[in-house]
Amino acid sequence: MAVRRATIYVAGLALLAGVTAAILTATRKHEELRAVGHPEAWAFVLLIGWSFIGSGIVAAARGLGPRFGALMIGAGFAWFAAALSASGEPVPFTIGMLLASLWIAIFVHALLAFPGGRLESHAARVVVGAYYFQAVVLQLGWLMFTNTTTLDGCHGCPMNLLLISDRPRLANAILFIEQPIVGVVALAGAVAILAHRWWAGTPPARRSLGPVLASGGACLIILALDILVEPLSYRGGQVIGWASVIAFSAVPFAFLLGLLRQRLDRSAVAQLVIELGDHAAQTNLQAALSRALRDPSVQIAYWLPDAGRYVDTEGRPVDPPAEHDAHRATTTVDHDGERVAILVHDPSLLEDPELVHGVCAAAGLALSNQRLQAQLRARLLELQQSRARIVEVGDAERRRLERDLHDGAQQRLVSLSLDLSSVGARVRDDPETAALVTAIRAELARSLEELRELAQGIHPAALTDHGLPVALETVATRCVIPCSLTVAIEGRLPVPVEVAIYYLVSEALANVAKHAGASRASISVARTNGSVRIEVTDDGVGGARVGTGSGLTGLADRIAALEGSLEVRSPLSGGTTVRAEIPCG
Amino acid sequence: MRVIIAEDSVLLREGIARLLTESGFNVVETVEDGETLIRRIADLAPDVAVIDIRMPPSHTDEGLRAAQHIRLHHADVGVLLLSQHAEVGIAMKLLEGGADGAGYLLKDRIADVEEFAAAVRRVGEGGSALDPAIVSQLVRRRRENDRLEILSTREREVLELIGEGLSNQAIAERLFVSQSAVEKHVSSIFDKLQIPGTKDTHRRVLAVLALLRH
Repeated sequence: MAVRRATIYVAGLALLAGVTAAILTATRKHEELRAVGHPEAWAFVLLIGWSFIGSGIVAAARGLGPRFGALMIGAGFAWFAAALSASGEPVPFTIGMLLASLWIAIFVHALLAFPGGRLESHAARVVVGAYYFQAVVLQLGWLMFTNTTTLDGCHGCPMNLLLISDRPRLANAILFIEQPIVGVVALAGAVAILAHRWWAGTPPARRSLGPVLASGGACLIILALDILVEPLSYRGGQVIGWASVIAFSAVPFAFLLGLLRQRLDRSAVAQLVIELGDHAAQTNLQAALSRALRDPSVQIAYWLPDAGRYVDTEGRPVDPPAEHDAHRATTTVDHDGERVAILVHDPSLLEDPELVHGVCAAAGLALSNQRLQAQLRARLLELQQSRARIVEVGDAERRRLERDLHDGAQQRLVSLSLDLSSVGARVRDDPETAALVTAIRAELARSLEELRELAQGIHPAALTDHGLPVALETVATRCVIPCSLTVAIEGRLPVPVEVAIYYLVSEALANVAKHAGASRASISVARTNGSVRIEVTDDGVGGARVGTGSGLTGLADRIAALEGSLEVRSPLSGGTTVRAEIPCG
Repeated sequence: MRVIIAEDSVLLREGIARLLTESGFNVVETVEDGETLIRRIADLAPDVAVIDIRMPPSHTDEGLRAAQHIRLHHADVGVLLLSQHAEVGIAMKLLEGGADGAGYLLKDRIADVEEFAAAVRRVGEGGSALDPAIVSQLVRRRRENDRLEILSTREREVLELIGEGLSNQAIAERLFVSQSAVEKHVSSIFDKLQIPGTKDTHRRVLAVLALLRH
């Protein structure tokens, strides 16, 4: 209510100030220094002031930017205050002259502080400070040394009460600092800051900044032209002066246009409600929220209270952005008093909390439902990962066993048989012992053979040591029918993928040998984008399938653990193709 | 004949060195890894290097890579790889640039001192030596449009033994036939496989390659 009452007071005051300014302008007797001060321009005086104050009131009352709104209102009243210089009385005239360009300083302040109302950068503070310095200090200095009753271009002006001594040359010097130097340099700075903000802005930020920055920037450029042209040509100054009047009256409307755009965004909430009501289950929620918020970068992170973490729609873990991330902001979505998700979005959306809250409220139920799905997917993903880990741990354990055998028993036995052969050489004269040694050596050789096969069965060492092409060469060579092998892979694949491929090819060829009655087989392993394709084909009788007892069943599990797929095509008309695809980064 | 040995197991390194010394070789150096091997080869210029395939630091294919390096940069040094496993793919990699002065044996073969010493000598002299386990896989390998199909069973047996690197006399002893019979088979094999007639060692090496590539 306090806001509404304040609004009524401000509006009433604006009405009064506007009417006063318009009457003073329309009835003025003395000559005017500015373009917008001639009696016939009273309507523009009214229009500019009211549109500034009006848009400021709207901004403040809507909670969009109370500070920004206050600045706009301030600029409007300062504009009316400048119109006091139209009065024939010395006191209001002096006040009007003193405050003549304060409104420009406040306007620049508002523009550079849009939409939050705070000056974010050091450069912006310097520029705005320069404007206030010019509008207050330099203007006061000029008045102290200017006799307005004799001033050129101010015919019939009343007495300036701030006059200390009439020194036209000193006044002109101050005017020179005031206008070209401070005016143009500070203007250029302000334009540069606006251009940079536009350049660095994200699309949603640009959408709301656009109209305000564009018209504000245009005003600043016209002001700069005004300062440069006026001393050279009175008529040119007048023309540009009128142009600036039109540009300035456009600024508040541009601001209202920005507000209107946000109001249009609001209707997106209604659209969202309809969309979710009709096809909640099928809706791509993230896309729907992006549309409603007009921010293509919106991401949903569902909160899993049990796990204490966030996941995306697919159940993959996501990290919410850091609290002070300048490029991403988050909004928490609750449903039935419980945290459901967070929306990660562009920080500019924080300036329109009503829209964000509206969207969150509309999507609460749908988000709550989709969270259950995300939760399920997260569990599946975990299961998948734990399965892959189990396979991996098993493989690592087998690899370790094979290595232990190699470094331990196998080396020792080889060394032992070496020693035994020296013994054999020494007992050559003793045929009985020599025969015994020979028998032991033969036995030892068989043990080594068996140990080698055992090691190979535990883990294919050639695979780990030399990679797929070498390991598969042996598999293909041992095949009982002609078997062609093509391995089109550069470098090494992840260990679990290599192991899966090795076992898949071995198993498929074993099946060909046992059941297929084939006359030839072919193996091809090729890397396509992001995955490996394995194909083992034969020209046998067909009719094979992945069923219980088939070695392929275990392999299907192994490949599924790697998120791959296995397919056996074996028509009764003949021929079998085992095809697998395993993703590998 | 000057030999360098690269093997990380102390037991085997010393065992092999002793065995080769007793068999009349001059063991000029023993090293534990591939990098040292390559460095010492440049200094010592031995006739042959006996290399364990799995060596530090990764214990995977250091020996094979060192052997390939030596074959590329020190073509006059023979390399004999030792491994716990008989992999056709490794034999193909080792013999990529030709079979002369290269060998690949299972570690088990060390125990048969005479044959092992003969293999080292052969490789040092520019010949080749493939493990019987590899050769039998290669001979048994079935191919469409098999070049070896035209050989008789006996000729296949002889080719297998050539692949292992045996001399005609050794083959004759192994197959219980006369040496002249072996010579007849060998020249028939060379004819059928269209191996051009130059030096005998070279033709035998080419026969090994034919076996590998068939």
